[in-house]
Amino acid sequence: MLALHDVSVRVGELTVLDAITLAVPPGRCVGIAGPSGSGKTTLLHVAGMLLEPSLGSVTWQGTRSRDPAGWRRKTVGFVFQDFCLVPELSALANVLLPMRFAAFCSGDAAGRGIAMLAEMGIAHPHRRAGILSRGEQQRVAIARAVLNTPPLILADEPTASLDAGTGGQIAKLLIAAARQAGAALLVVSHDPALLAEMDEVRTLRGGRLA
Amino acid sequence: MNPFPMVLADWRAMRGTAVWCIVLVALAVAIGVAVGAQERALRQASARASDDFALLIGAPGSQTSLVLASVYLQVEALPLIDGANLNRLAADKRVAAVAPIAFGDVVNGYPVIGTTANFVTRWGRLAPSEGRVFEAEDEAVLGSDVRLPIGAGITPAHGAAGAPGKADPDEARHRHEGVVYKVVGRLPPTGTPWDRAILVPVETVWETHGLGNGHARDPAPLGLPFDAESIPGVPAIVVKPVGVADAYALRGQYRQGGTMALFPAEVLVSLYRNLGDVRAVLVLASALNDGLLFLSVLLLVVVLIGLRRRRYAVLRALGAPAVYVLLVVWLGTTALLAAGCLVGLALGWAGSAAAGALVAARTGLAVAAAPGADEALLVGVLVLVGGAMALVPAWLATRAPISESLRS
Ligand SMILES: Nc1ncnc2c1ncn2[C@@H]1O[C@H](COP(=O)(O)OP(=O)(O)OP(=O)(O)O)[C@@H](O)[C@H]1O
Ligand SMILES: [Mg+2]
Repeated sequence: MLALHDVSVRVGELTVLDAITLAVPPGRCVGIAGPSGSGKTTLLHVAGMLLEPSLGSVTWQGTRSRDPAGWRRKTVGFVFQDFCLVPELSALANVLLPMRFAAFCSGDAAGRGIAMLAEMGIAHPHRRAGILSRGEQQRVAIARAVLNTPPLILADEPTASLDAGTGGQIAKLLIAAARQAGAALLVVSHDPALLAEMDEVRTLRGGRLA
Repeated sequence: MNPFPMVLADWRAMRGTAVWCIVLVALAVAIGVAVGAQERALRQASARASDDFALLIGAPGSQTSLVLASVYLQVEALPLIDGANLNRLAADKRVAAVAPIAFGDVVNGYPVIGTTANFVTRWGRLAPSEGRVFEAEDEAVLGSDVRLPIGAGITPAHGAAGAPGKADPDEARHRHEGVVYKVVGRLPPTGTPWDRAILVPVETVWETHGLGNGHARDPAPLGLPFDAESIPGVPAIVVKPVGVADAYALRGQYRQGGTMALFPAEVLVSLYRNLGDVRAVLVLASALNDGLLFLSVLLLVVVLIGLRRRRYAVLRALGAPAVYVLLVVWLGTTALLAAGCLVGLALGWAGSAAAGALVAARTGLAVAAAPGADEALLVGVLVLVGGAMALVPAWLATRAPISESLRS
């Protein structure tokens, strides 16, 4: 279970997050809505331990990780708001990128990657990520996050660049992947269709959870 | 853990910059390598050129002129020294061998040098590669680079050497009419300016200038001793002393009494020391070198930290251990530096060979600018230093705050 305890993030005088307490148990899908600039991305960064909160703490299975990178490698699938693909690598290479850090490379990773991309509607896995459309890039980013069935998925507006039809499809894939693996899913989104699929939706406003 | 896909992606991302980094580093390294290799080659070649000239004796005047004229055949009018010294030296038991060196004539731009058969073979060290050494007054032996056939008849002209192989228009007017040498042999290459000389008996040079042949009778057996009542003067005498102590004693003795004596090797060393121009060029070149190298590395660091902050933050956000990011950045940077260094090494050697060819064409001094361990070592050290410096951007990439970098 991912848990944020009384987390505050301050940047100088500015309070970006204010005393957030939130729990995402395994198998549960939690959505975060909120206007632009309300701190949604910051909240996901804190949850993924990319950002040390000014106050409060983040725990996974009840403990604070002493090796956030290692924890992310083994535990987290991250969909970034602007995808963060490596444009010079192929779509497939981007999906397989996290495995490059691992000391081992599991089974037929490339085969699974190609299958996953096909499921997402990416027919040319060897095309450079930099020349893909935004919607395609978004789907590659999602494929990268769910390929290794991580127990925690953090997704920042995963359908924002997709049309309603594709968005709905991809949202279903994301949620199915989480549910199948019994993963905890924390999604930031404006997309009502996606939020409607969540077990629970919270709204962030001015850094405070309603 | 496989960093290479990311390293390749990084290079693709910074294509233009990467090429410029390699070019800059290569240029900087090439300058250092070329200067080093050229300087060494020149030093070796000129030391080799003075090999058979242990001790030179001439009339008082410029030491440099005497060395340049006799060793490098950069002939200018030198004051003459009394020919009787030849006999006196030949009789000296501290002297193993002695020979005159007389110049002032030219054929087709090749200098004509009057000496003895003994010095033509470099005190017996060389044997003609074709034909034989001169045995009569009207015979000539060619240096390896003189483009004339064996058996040719040649007429010398008074004057200094021009462009070798090309007769100066002046040459025709100053020709010694009636004097004809027959070419009887050719010497193997020595890699020195003497490869462009036409060697004749000193007796003939004297006679051409109306000074007799140095002997009491005519014809007489060539070479020492010269038994004429008055022996014509020569511009230079080359002496092979028996031992080192003899060399110093002879030099001491012939420094006085209207003669000048010197060790060409010593003059060369002091010449090197005093070549302020060359040193200035070296200093400028190495400063330029360091500047370029510094600039290119700085460029690399700026590019790495600025442009690619976000890339490495992504890797870390995806769970890359610090050592992976460190490897990716370090390998990428170091490989660029190493590539630049290797290209520079090749460029430097090529440049040095080109400069050597130029020097050889101008002076006949075979400057063998061969790749040397010195430059390879220098480049090795540079790669090591570069690799150590590349740790800085690599370390910075593992330290930057992830969340902030992702927003940039
Ligand atoms: N490192 C920082 N320095 C200064 N301000 C920051 C920093 N990080 C976040 N902020 C500010 O905090 C606020 C929340 O940012 P955040 O990116 O979390 O918003 P968001 O809810 O994700 O917005 P959007 O829906 O537009 O993506 C913004 O006003 C942002 O400028
Ligand atoms: Mg955001």
